[in-house]
Amino acid sequence: MLQKGTAKKVTIYVNEDTQHHFVSLCDSILTFLLHKGVSGATATRAMAGFGAHHVMHTTKIEVLTEHLPIRIEFIESAEKVDELMPTLYDMVNDGVIEIQDTNVVKVANKERPTPPKGPHTEMRGTARLMRIYMGESDKWQGEPLYEALVKRLRLMDIAGATVYRGILGYGVKGHKHQSGRLGFSGDLPVMISVVDSEDKLAKALNEIESMMQDGIIVLSDVDVIRLVHSRPAPESSHANS
Amino acid sequence: MRTVKRAKLLRLHFGESDQYNGKPLYEVIVNRCKELKIAGATVFRGLEGYGETAEIHRHHLVRKDQPIVVTIVDTAENLGRLIPEVEEMMDTGMIATSDVDYMRIEKPPTAGT
Repeated sequence: MLQKGTAKKVTIYVNEDTQHHFVSLCDSILTFLLHKGVSGATATRAMAGFGAHHVMHTTKIEVLTEHLPIRIEFIESAEKVDELMPTLYDMVNDGVIEIQDTNVVKVANKERPTPPKGPHTEMRGTARLMRIYMGESDKWQGEPLYEALVKRLRLMDIAGATVYRGILGYGVKGHKHQSGRLGFSGDLPVMISVVDSEDKLAKALNEIESMMQDGIIVLSDVDVIRLVHSRPAPESSHANS
Repeated sequence: MRTVKRAKLLRLHFGESDQYNGKPLYEVIVNRCKELKIAGATVFRGLEGYGETAEIHRHHLVRKDQPIVVTIVDTAENLGRLIPEVEEMMDTGMIATSDVDYMRIEKPPTAGT
């Protein structure tokens, strides 16, 4: 399964009509990748192009529509790419194979079945608790600061964050945050509490600081008792061996 | 550039219906904090809870009695001045302190805001 972080992106350029063991090379590469459990591969047909033979292929002129270029792309971990490469190298008898370093930002899979929930297990340990105080009306690039901060923390894989709205308070700015006469007010105090390991919070702190105009950040050491559903061991790379 | 200071975090737990001299206790405490030049105070309202009186605090149709938490961050000396006064004002409830690291963010407003 593809993970967040550094990975390799492989791009293979072939011709639509190149054959491999009497079937289309493009098809047999995709079949091979599917069989090997690659997380995903996409083949795209080009509008126009030319290759090492220096013959222009284009959809504009009927005679030249044969041999259109096809680009096959897939992203996998470096080890997986290493495992696949000898076979791909052998298969592509006419074309180009290219590998780039890439960075996987998000892997989301809606249809992945949720693993069956096991009994609760307890995890204990020490961690840091961060409380971030701000006003409800504080903005970052036009969106509410607390929303922007929670989104950023999620992007950084921080274990969890909770936003609380206060009913009264004052702080750095000296003015009072209080709900208006009808109970509506856009500027009540807001606090986000975040729990994670010390080094992850230290990294997040830089981001948070750059997004905030004013407010305070309070850090304390905490003991964590976490109840998690024990899951079957995660599928590892040898799942398809 | 970043200055992280050691400070104390004070948490006061009581009920929303608690009063002092006819005014809501949390309002009186926040006002007193301002007078004592305490750096900041924030009042949060909980959804439900119970305390030493074992009475469940929750939202009633006519009576507001949800749990209230006031959090205050300041130096140990400043809190030392505040705590005796708060203790005197509070009828039942809980006062908890913990050691924290804190940093204050105060950037000059950027042009255009």
